[in-house]
Amino acid sequence: MSWRTGAREATPLLGGYIPVAISFGMVAVQAGFSVWQTILISTLIYAGASQFLFVAMVAAGAPWGLVVVMTLLINARHVVYGPSIAPWLPKSRWWPFLSHGLTDQIFALALSRLSQLPAEQRLGWYSGAMLLAWFSWVAGTAAGAIAGEELSRHWPLLGEIMPFALPALFLVLLAPRFTSRTWSIALGSTIAVAMLLTLYGFTNASIPLAAASGALFFYLAKLHARTGGRLDG
Amino acid sequence: MDNGFWLALLLVSAGTLCMRLLPLLWMQRHLLKQKSKGGLAAIPGWLSVLGPLMIAAMLGVSLVPASPGWSAWFATLLGALSALMAWLWTKSLGWPVLVGVSIYGVVILLARISTGG
Repeated sequence: MSWRTGAREATPLLGGYIPVAISFGMVAVQAGFSVWQTILISTLIYAGASQFLFVAMVAAGAPWGLVVVMTLLINARHVVYGPSIAPWLPKSRWWPFLSHGLTDQIFALALSRLSQLPAEQRLGWYSGAMLLAWFSWVAGTAAGAIAGEELSRHWPLLGEIMPFALPALFLVLLAPRFTSRTWSIALGSTIAVAMLLTLYGFTNASIPLAAASGALFFYLAKLHARTGGRLDG
Repeated sequence: MDNGFWLALLLVSAGTLCMRLLPLLWMQRHLLKQKSKGGLAAIPGWLSVLGPLMIAAMLGVSLVPASPGWSAWFATLLGALSALMAWLWTKSLGWPVLVGVSIYGVVILLARISTGG
């Protein structure tokens, strides 16, 4: 039952997904969207940062065209995810549906786990992980839209503590990749640049910009290794 | 707002799906073509570098506390270190996350109690 393994291994994501989805549900309803509109946004767009931007821009009265362009720009980083995990995923007529669940976190999990699984289990694993994450996001949004204020009154600290599951998971996924000085420099600089950009308020641009700067460091370190021979690749 | 909302929702949903789906299908076709020509089916080198760096960038973004302060940063540091130690110990996914979140939560709670918040 490979889908069960996928769902089990995606469980740590819920700690990050549900509190953020609850806050999205609350924010959207407060911005004037109905409960059903809020749930539909999470079901159909299913991309955290861009959903918050979508709602904030609409609430601020931005033109619809600009809302669409800006939201899609934030999601543009997703174009890298599919090709990166393609070597481990078989062809299937279900991809038009399954790829809907290729979020940042599912990509991170899939990139680390798919290569370790037998070929015949990969599609099932991905489906289980993706469906659990998607349902938790939609359910969290519904809970936030319907009873968000009551939930945050009853468990005020939960929303602050549970999202730490995401950095903890990313850390665990990334730890085995510090295999050489070149990779350590590239990964370390990416983390530092992403943190700096986020601290200075460029949260939405920080993932692609930090990854691009990390790639630059990676190739510079490789070049240095080739010319100086002191760094390993 | 209603007509504009539905159209915008449709466009953003379809656009996001296309960004997730089309590059995946294109790469799968490209790899199959490479294989059928007898070559080694591999993704471009830059893409295999970019994948882990995207995860590193997500880590950097998620490490910054929503409301930065000394207690949040201290909790982040201890939570991350304990998750890392648990990973070195168990080499699993679930336990390190559980340990990291627990330690982070304990530090946040203790900080709240000590400041009377």
